[in-house]
Amino acid sequence: MSTAETLALRIREHARRTPEAVAMRDKNFGLWEQVTWREYWDTSVQVGHALLSLGIGVGDRVAIHSENRREWLFSDIGTVAVRAATVGVYPTNPAHEVLHLLRDSGSSVLIAEDQEQVDKAFEILEELPRLRHIVYIEPRGIAGHYTDERLMSWPEFLARGAEHARAHPDAVTDLAEAAKPGDLATLIYTSGTTGPPKGAMLTIDNIEFAIERVSQEGAFFDPPATSKDLLVSYLPLCHVAERCFTTWLNAGVGTQVNFAESIETVTTALREVQPTVVFGVPRIWEKIVAGIHIRMSGASWFKRRVFAGFMRLADWIGDCLVKNRGRHTVATRLVYLVCWVVCFRALRERLGLRHTRYAASGAAPIAPEVLKFFMGIGVQMHEVYGMTENSAMGTANLPGRVLLGTVGEPHPGVEITVDEGTGEILTRHRGNFVGYWKRPDATAETLDAEGWLHTGDVGEWARGTHLKITDRIKDIIITAGGKNVSPSELENSLKASPYVKEAVVIGDGRKFLTALIGIELDTVGEWAQRRRLAFTTYRDLSAKPEVQELIQEVVDETNEKFAQVETIKRFSLMPKELDHDEGELTATQKVKRTAITEQFASTIAQMYGERTPETAAS
Amino acid sequence: MTTTPVPGSAPHGPRPPRGRPLLRTSYAQHMGLLNTPGKRWSTLVLVIVGFCAPLLFTDDLLQVLTLGLFAAIGAIGLNLVTGYAGQVSLGHAFFIGLGAYTAAVVGGDTDGRLLGLGMPMYIWLPAAGLVTAAAGLLIGPLAVRLRGLYLAIVTLGVVFLGLHIFREASNLTGGPGVGRRAPDVELFGINASVSGGLPGLDWTRDQQLFVVALIFLIIFAVAARNIARSGVGRAFAAIRDRDVAAAVIGVDLAGYKLLAFALSSFYAGICGALYYTVVRVIEPTSFDLLLSVQFLAMVLIGGVSTISGSIMGALFITALGRMAIEIAHYVPFVSTSVTGGGLLNVFQLEGILYGLLIIGFLIAEPRGLYGIWIRVRNYWKGWPFSY
Repeated sequence: MSTAETLALRIREHARRTPEAVAMRDKNFGLWEQVTWREYWDTSVQVGHALLSLGIGVGDRVAIHSENRREWLFSDIGTVAVRAATVGVYPTNPAHEVLHLLRDSGSSVLIAEDQEQVDKAFEILEELPRLRHIVYIEPRGIAGHYTDERLMSWPEFLARGAEHARAHPDAVTDLAEAAKPGDLATLIYTSGTTGPPKGAMLTIDNIEFAIERVSQEGAFFDPPATSKDLLVSYLPLCHVAERCFTTWLNAGVGTQVNFAESIETVTTALREVQPTVVFGVPRIWEKIVAGIHIRMSGASWFKRRVFAGFMRLADWIGDCLVKNRGRHTVATRLVYLVCWVVCFRALRERLGLRHTRYAASGAAPIAPEVLKFFMGIGVQMHEVYGMTENSAMGTANLPGRVLLGTVGEPHPGVEITVDEGTGEILTRHRGNFVGYWKRPDATAETLDAEGWLHTGDVGEWARGTHLKITDRIKDIIITAGGKNVSPSELENSLKASPYVKEAVVIGDGRKFLTALIGIELDTVGEWAQRRRLAFTTYRDLSAKPEVQELIQEVVDETNEKFAQVETIKRFSLMPKELDHDEGELTATQKVKRTAITEQFASTIAQMYGERTPETAAS
Repeated sequence: MTTTPVPGSAPHGPRPPRGRPLLRTSYAQHMGLLNTPGKRWSTLVLVIVGFCAPLLFTDDLLQVLTLGLFAAIGAIGLNLVTGYAGQVSLGHAFFIGLGAYTAAVVGGDTDGRLLGLGMPMYIWLPAAGLVTAAAGLLIGPLAVRLRGLYLAIVTLGVVFLGLHIFREASNLTGGPGVGRRAPDVELFGINASVSGGLPGLDWTRDQQLFVVALIFLIIFAVAARNIARSGVGRAFAAIRDRDVAAAVIGVDLAGYKLLAFALSSFYAGICGALYYTVVRVIEPTSFDLLLSVQFLAMVLIGGVSTISGSIMGALFITALGRMAIEIAHYVPFVSTSVTGGGLLNVFQLEGILYGLLIIGFLIAEPRGLYGIWIRVRNYWKGWPFSY
């Protein structure tokens, strides 16, 4: 079907129509190097040729293990152009998880960013007989140090492509045009909070559906995104949400993607780029709020006072907007105008949200207070909902039709129902994935015969139009009293405080609820310094009685908002920051509950007044 | 193959989107003189106000401002060697004097009492700069061997040597107490040193000289700013911060120190030549240590290693005499003449003010007037945060 739009052909179309326009920018040595559409397409084709010369055929898998950068997109498009499938590996994945992903997907080519990722691959190379070639992008520490015939530098890789292109000039374009809607385009691995990550198979057609939705008016944006919109790409591209906003939106309407130097420099990148469209996970938005808090507490007396006054106004504006479904009234407009001139314009500029016309939060539940804060300072904030298995297409709050606490309305062409028995949310549309890679058992559990995707989320309708998510089915706590409690609501309410980074509510089969809380080192550390409270490490700080009191206040505030049975009776502060490497978090920074409850079993037992083997022994 | 732009090359590809001054696509953009809209607009306004000044102020005030603008060229020169390159020089007065006399000799009357070559301005002005720069090159080798306090003492010696030479070479300088006339500012057939020199405009001498001063200052200030932000300026800064480290990273210490002195002296020579076209008479004993200290005060009070600070400092210090007179009107024990009664006269008051200002600035705001501006700017730059 040559008329079928595919990711690759869309890039070619942009390159034909606006060859010299900017497709993306990549920051290197302090400069934003601009990549035009022509360069984007030409390099992608070269990558495609190189892959062909390495023996990649239709349906083969190519793994990319890198932070977000232009080579990621070149590799992705090059792979899709030759009808192979891309497998993204999280840069933070430790070697054993990389092993699982590469072995499970059976990738034969790995494109690794730097020495760190190449080392991970070498650690597990013996168990990967199918992996034939490793291409590295950054030569530092590799070139001249490593001698392995499978290794190849990025320029060598492209040179191979150029050579192949001379011999078979039309090989890649022919393949790209011959692509079928049912072709596997990518394997996106789930974060794996409960078991080993599973590879969700997304086809060309799935992605096309997502591109159509995300470019369309009235699905996310209003007015729709254009080539004048700027984005900063910083969340892992192996995650479906960032892939949707970076690669797919860019291919769909030609938005300009900007890659920061690294994940640590995102705040600088936001300030410099001043993106018009920002997508963030709750953790990012919470971190921005905490950052404002920290910087403000270090400001001069006068500035603190002025800012506190404006924050009260922001609160009021936020309240009005929430009541009015995200629309301004004359009064809020006037107040906002004054606030904008004196404070919010500068504040948003510092945050990098000055020109932001659309901001979205998704991929995990977020506390409504955080959203309201951003609405108050004039950032149009929308909660959206989707998952890997439905190509990130589910629901979205639309500009002017926001209902706080919900994830919004279904996109056009998306069918959503709430299962009457279990309350599970089911979706059905063209974006529904075709199954888990080599896991027909898991696929059968998720996709039913009528084509409904079982999302694993429990939810309900609000006002008949907006979908409200209660929690993951697996996470719902049933207390000993038989009461169903959604832990994520409680956890998010706790995490809305700038002092709380992680919260895990426990209580399944217990008489009452307890919580394990991890403090935010930056804010609590700053708080302690101001109170002249000496501390050394995270553990030491967590153990301070003053910090316990501080968090007690946060817990009390949360408890006031919930019914008696849903209050947190006791809590403990976790003595360490949770970490991906130690298996406590997934690559997307989601808490692995089972791992946590196992690791902190004795702490939990103490909260319930049980005697643990350790305490019994002592 | 991905294209890797050569650092510092012209912007790669299309222009970056508007309203995002921090989104830099080339180092040229990074190093730009007026790289933000704020700078562009404020500079434009300043220049327009500058050129309107002759119509706004009275002649006596304009004369003070003109002296300030010419002095600013000298202050920029001193800032290049002392502020940017970190080589303390107390010998600036000698170079100013040398410039003034070179201009007077080259541009002076051929049939006068004293030696004069009768050359036009486009000869005597560059000559003043070049002769002084050559003298700077002679002093330079001292700086290569000495630093800090020792360099200051040696350059101090230059001032005393110079004073002696100016006094004794009376067929060139006119001798102490007499001096000689400065040449007229006459370019392209327009004599700015005579009232009504501008055809079609009924302007006074002071108005015309002010405009001339402003044009020359802009030329030399922009040139100095460009030197400062180029490789030469970075080499100067490296020498200032740590000469050993600078040598290690490949900065030719001897060469750049010589260059710093030559450049600084060139500016001093131009300053001397032009400054005395306003004062009219060049008296040999005026190039003493006090003059050097005054220029040092301009740099310190204005702001070390800043061009705009040098200009602010020069205007401020030259206006100090005028301020002292204004103060004298309100303070009963200060007389406005040398012979008058009272505890102090205005010249003594001026001297005291110098001292107090230098002490005050060094203690409270070592970055000078420019530092105060930076403070004000940063307060609003960080708004609503403090950092």
